[in-house]
Amino acid sequence: MKITELFERGEFVVTAEVGPPKGCHIENLLEEAKTYLSGITAVNVTDNQSSVMRLGSLATCKALKDEGLTPIFQITCRDRNRIALQSDLLSAVMLGIENVLLLTGDHTKLGDHPQAKPVFDLDSVSLLHTAKLLESGVDLGGNQLVGEPPKFAKGAVVSPCSDSVDAQLAKMERKVAAGADYFQTQAVYEPEKFIKFMEKAKQFGKPVQLGIVIPKSAGMAKYMNDNVAGIHVPQEMLDELRADKEKTKAGITGVEIAARIIKECKPYCQGVHIMALGWESKVPALLEQAGI
Amino acid sequence: MEDYTKYRLKTREELAQALSGTDHIFVISCNKCFKEFNTVEEPELAEFEKIAAEEGKTITGNARVDFLCNKTQTAKTLSDIVPEGTESIFVVSCGLGVQTIADMQTECSESDPTPVYSATDSLNYTGHHGMALTDKACDACAQCYLNVTGGICPIVDCSKSLVNGQCGGAKNGKCEVDPNKDCAWEKIYQRLKKQGRLEEFLNQPVQMRDYSKTSFKFVHDYVTSIRENRLDGYYGGVHPLENKGYTEQIALARFPEPETVVIPLSMHAGAPATPIVAVGDTVKVGQKIGESAGFISSPVHSSVSGTVIAIEDHGHATRGTCPAVVIQSDGKNTLDDSVKPHKSLEELTPDEIIDIVKEAGIVGMGGAGFPTSVKLKPAKPVDTILLNGCECEPYLTADHRVMLEYADDIVFGLRAIVKTVGAEKGLIVIEDNKPDAIEVMKAKVADYDNLDVVVAKTKYPQGAEKMLIKRVMKRQVPSGGLPADVGCVVSNISTTKAISDAIQKGMPLIERVVSVTGERLKNPGNYIVKIGTNTKDLIDYCGGVVGDGEITYKAGGPMMGFVLKDLNVPIMKGSNGIICVDTDYTEEQPCIKCGRCMDVCPMELKPLYFAKYADEENWQGMKDQHVMDCLECRCCEYICSSKIPLVTKIKAGKAAVRGMK
Amino acid sequence: MLITELKSKETIFSLVDGKKAFIINCHGCREVYFPLEEAAQLQEELHANGSVTGILTTDYICNPDNLKVRLEGHKAEIDAADVVLVFSCGVGVQTVASYLEDKKVCACCDTSRLPGFQGVTPLEYDCGQCGECYLNLTGGICPITACSKSLVNGQCGGSKNGKCEVDPNMDCGWERIYRRLEKIGRLDALKCPTQIRNFATDQEVAK
Repeated sequence: MKITELFERGEFVVTAEVGPPKGCHIENLLEEAKTYLSGITAVNVTDNQSSVMRLGSLATCKALKDEGLTPIFQITCRDRNRIALQSDLLSAVMLGIENVLLLTGDHTKLGDHPQAKPVFDLDSVSLLHTAKLLESGVDLGGNQLVGEPPKFAKGAVVSPCSDSVDAQLAKMERKVAAGADYFQTQAVYEPEKFIKFMEKAKQFGKPVQLGIVIPKSAGMAKYMNDNVAGIHVPQEMLDELRADKEKTKAGITGVEIAARIIKECKPYCQGVHIMALGWESKVPALLEQAGI
Repeated sequence: MEDYTKYRLKTREELAQALSGTDHIFVISCNKCFKEFNTVEEPELAEFEKIAAEEGKTITGNARVDFLCNKTQTAKTLSDIVPEGTESIFVVSCGLGVQTIADMQTECSESDPTPVYSATDSLNYTGHHGMALTDKACDACAQCYLNVTGGICPIVDCSKSLVNGQCGGAKNGKCEVDPNKDCAWEKIYQRLKKQGRLEEFLNQPVQMRDYSKTSFKFVHDYVTSIRENRLDGYYGGVHPLENKGYTEQIALARFPEPETVVIPLSMHAGAPATPIVAVGDTVKVGQKIGESAGFISSPVHSSVSGTVIAIEDHGHATRGTCPAVVIQSDGKNTLDDSVKPHKSLEELTPDEIIDIVKEAGIVGMGGAGFPTSVKLKPAKPVDTILLNGCECEPYLTADHRVMLEYADDIVFGLRAIVKTVGAEKGLIVIEDNKPDAIEVMKAKVADYDNLDVVVAKTKYPQGAEKMLIKRVMKRQVPSGGLPADVGCVVSNISTTKAISDAIQKGMPLIERVVSVTGERLKNPGNYIVKIGTNTKDLIDYCGGVVGDGEITYKAGGPMMGFVLKDLNVPIMKGSNGIICVDTDYTEEQPCIKCGRCMDVCPMELKPLYFAKYADEENWQGMKDQHVMDCLECRCCEYICSSKIPLVTKIKAGKAAVRGMK
Repeated sequence: MLITELKSKETIFSLVDGKKAFIINCHGCREVYFPLEEAAQLQEELHANGSVTGILTTDYICNPDNLKVRLEGHKAEIDAADVVLVFSCGVGVQTVASYLEDKKVCACCDTSRLPGFQGVTPLEYDCGQCGECYLNLTGGICPITACSKSLVNGQCGGSKNGKCEVDPNMDCGWERIYRRLEKIGRLDALKCPTQIRNFATDQEVAK
């Protein structure tokens, strides 16, 4: 099932995200996904997130699918040239995985193999373009595909609370032009910024899922403020996380904050994407509190 | 010779598209670099203008620029050149030139910058060439593999940049990507085999590339610093190895009394002096033996007591031969009666000081030999005296030692100049490689409100008057002008000390400090030497020369000094050094337009044209390129990647241009 | 313009490995970075070990004609050496290696490049020689060199406070491009078709 179909039906689409392990054992991941994420629409599988080498995204997607979940195959331009990218997109469809999220990817220097050659043969925009081209039955080299062309639900990302929102919107427009069907956003902690962003993003007519990272502690929030692009946790949330350490540690504060953000932004977006970062267990509570 | 031309015009279709939204176009074209300097006018500009005209566009004007990426020079060339009504600028250049113009447009016009378009694509090559235009290239991978591969680069020469041996794709020794290209690993294998290094190769650990090796910060900081150095204080200049360590710590010593001295009648700019002694005359130390022969001229004096044994032509370090007075010393050093102290500085009037300086035969002792008395009567009001303590020439340490050992005399001399010229202040400018001299001079001027020490960051040719004035005063001496045109007088350290001697002791200029140095001299040192002393005696006294290989002797420093083919020449008023250095084996090669000469020329000239035009005997072209503004500082020749003897060509050009008048 | 950093002392000593070495220093692109003092110190040590047959300090060895003239006086020293150590950029080492084809010629430096290499001087900006100039789409800022990922369709999401995710000393190239386009009123350039690079070199295209 393509998640674009749900957007078309006007459903509020909930997705979450899992990161494959560093190793070839996937039992725990599947167990957690089944337990906590089976209620949601689809599950993103990250592609060597933060340039840290892990089990492959596509293989993990397949395993999730076999367990009855709907995976979204994240694919970045960091590690593959245009040949490998197209090949992997075709492989995904062959395995019945049509939901894809196409990204540029973090730079190799940020990860655990800084010596690696960064590829970036294509980027997110040209990868969307390429996926669209494949859907028309032609590859990037201008060659015909054999048989029925693939069909994707082509996701892309955008950063609504970035320090240069205008540039983000310009890039979003390029992604739409290149073929993006829907967007997932970077984690949002400033609903008013997100709402303002959505007022402008509305014109593109593409569904947008609000990005949520449940804040685990004040320290984590501060770390994100200092190091993660496009994320700003306001002071009052930091204070809230600091106020009752036990409550925060138990995840109660974080879930409260996240639920509040979802409630506030819900009227302006078409879904929510939860990046639980290990707190998959909190997802059901969060959705409940957010009234979804 | 490879042609590393950097750009080609975009296709007709692409240009039509780029032109479609605009009209009234100004075109800036870069004369190409890194190719043999055959033609001054490259064809792409005309081609582009033709296409623009065919597209129905109006061209508001064009400009051809050398090395468009040289921002300082480009800004100068292009200021106020773009006419009113220009809607856009098209640049015919590599990406660097386009970015330079785009940057300049954005920087200079805050409100409404003219859009800048590129009419070209930069060509893409594998790897980066060196300064020479050969087929060898380096990819700057920051982890050189040449030791594993017998000196053949696997990154550039192998299509796949493999570092552990060949792939299976080569056929008949040719690359699978291009059958015209040799398989790099085949070449590597053959070379290693030839050198008997196969086992070494087989025992190499697995090679893996590290793409994180180049650090943005390292490179960025370095670029910033190198540009800052180049533009620091004044445009251009170089930083040759200083080599001052041979002598800078060696105290001054008096050179032993010469048996005979040969005193040239011309050690200054202008007319040679007229001899006023005859063969057989007895002369004393400080006695005038040649009279000034014009407004720009200078008297000369005997540096010994003894007998005139000849007045004849004699070898001369800078002019071939020159009439000279030869005096046999009696070894007694009897002082001439004229040598006695003058009134105190307070009592002397400016005109009296000028007279003393003129009569003492004092001329610029930095080498040029311009009569100091003339300098002391500037035609325009002067507010600042600059004392040139830079001594930017490598090897030389004479002025440095004079500052350390005769600081009081220098301050006295400077006060005398300030008083004579009626300046407001006197500044002693010293390069930061002489901290001891800075300290000494600072202490000495502390008592005088109108004197100060200025520390200048070392850069050659800082000692050139125009550079010194620009650095310290931020004033630009006009083309063909003098320091007085911008309210300055510049004096040399030794000259200033000579002024002090003339006033305080009544001693004319009969001796000077000479650095005798160089890697090939046995015992380098700084000596107080009588004018007329034989250069060969000086070298012999210093233990002669050592080491193997040919030696170059120079009067003066390595940059502006004169090569001495014959050592039988006398020390003169301007002889600040004698150097004995290794001969630099070079051969002139064709100019490849690398542009480095233009990057270092402190007068902001384009020396590459001097090389081209001198060979073509295009003297008008040299004149148009302002050859007469050249200082002959030799920065261009020093940096020239093709080893072109630029200064020789420039001198020929200057002589020809003078003849044109 | 290429700049060099010394390889580690261990590496250089292992190249000599107790045998005889002739040393060539290239101060070629004078005024451009060469680790002068470190190299001299290291050579001093080699010399003290009795490993050095001669040292030639010269310039522009990348020019084969120049190299030949300069090596002429050192033939005996080179013959006496088992290995020739070259302290220069990679072009210089290759030129020496092809001139002294029978000798073991070794590089003692790693080479990096300076921005502005194509032109006359090191510059703050750079050209990636991509052969398909993007400057018309970017307000005259090169996305190939100003962006760590050489992206040609806009910024990635990684920049923070206008700085690149790879190096906080570096401005985000696309942030600069966006601001420049904004300033010169050419934001419409971002509406161009999706750009896809061509990585074939000119030589390959020419075939």
